[in-house]
Amino acid sequence: MSGIQLLAAVALLAGTAPAAAQSMSPMRGEITSFTDAFAVRVHPANPYDHRIRVDVRVYDQEFRPVAAQVLPGSFTLGAQASRSVLVVVPFEGAASRKVRICTESVPFPDNQTQIRAQICGKFLATRQSR
Amino acid sequence: MSKSAAPALVLVLASLSAWPAAADTIGLLFDATVDAVCTLSVNSNGTMVASTDLQTLSSKLAGGSPASLTLSTTGGVDLSLDPVTTVTAPAGDVTTTTWTPTYSTSGAHTIAETGGTTSLTSPGTSTVSVDLVGAKSGSDRFAAGNYQATVTVRCE
Repeated sequence: MSGIQLLAAVALLAGTAPAAAQSMSPMRGEITSFTDAFAVRVHPANPYDHRIRVDVRVYDQEFRPVAAQVLPGSFTLGAQASRSVLVVVPFEGAASRKVRICTESVPFPDNQTQIRAQICGKFLATRQSR
Repeated sequence: MSKSAAPALVLVLASLSAWPAAADTIGLLFDATVDAVCTLSVNSNGTMVASTDLQTLSSKLAGGSPASLTLSTTGGVDLSLDPVTTVTAPAGDVTTTTWTPTYSTSGAHTIAETGGTTSLTSPGTSTVSVDLVGAKSGSDRFAAGNYQATVTVRCE
């Protein structure tokens, strides 16, 4: 195969896939909890005129996944839509915990999106004893 | 009071009532808090092409194009890229590739090409261009077939 043929083979489609976009609020927060876990309600939004698929994931400060309950963790957002997502994170014995809650665009299976847009909020939770 | 003085008195009273009294002035306050917000929109994906020596796949080479995003923010957020971890390669490619994503921005935020984290302190809308370069070393070469790599752009 010549270099030109290889060039054509590796060229990827550009601009034909629907764009993915999202935002999320809030992007900062401090939480005080009296229990073994804390809860955060975030609102991913799709400000554009096409639907997008969204994942909401929780990471620690080093971007390691955190075992948290995310309800719902994956969903489709219609144009101009937003929805509430409840995130419950265990303290796992710590007195405080910093986590990132991230909204990620998920490419639909039939397109070749190369860019994954990720919006992350930073949250600090402190556990208070009664 | 004479009959002629009565209309004048009424006129004076009417004039006084037309002036707003200082005590009637009320300041109405409107409060607002704008939280940090960041919106990312993928405008187009990138295209990589192979170098003539078949050791580089790059969106910077002639025929390639960077991916493009629109970023809108209130400021007070950080922009960064993740290392490339999701790559689809043809079965014939069994050698290691080093992937290097970089970005630059124009518009409200001007950032020269970097792969690191940049703090966006001011509000505004910018265009983010993302380039990706894959490189092989030694005698390794890219194989014929389709390649696809996913770059994660993060605003936090």
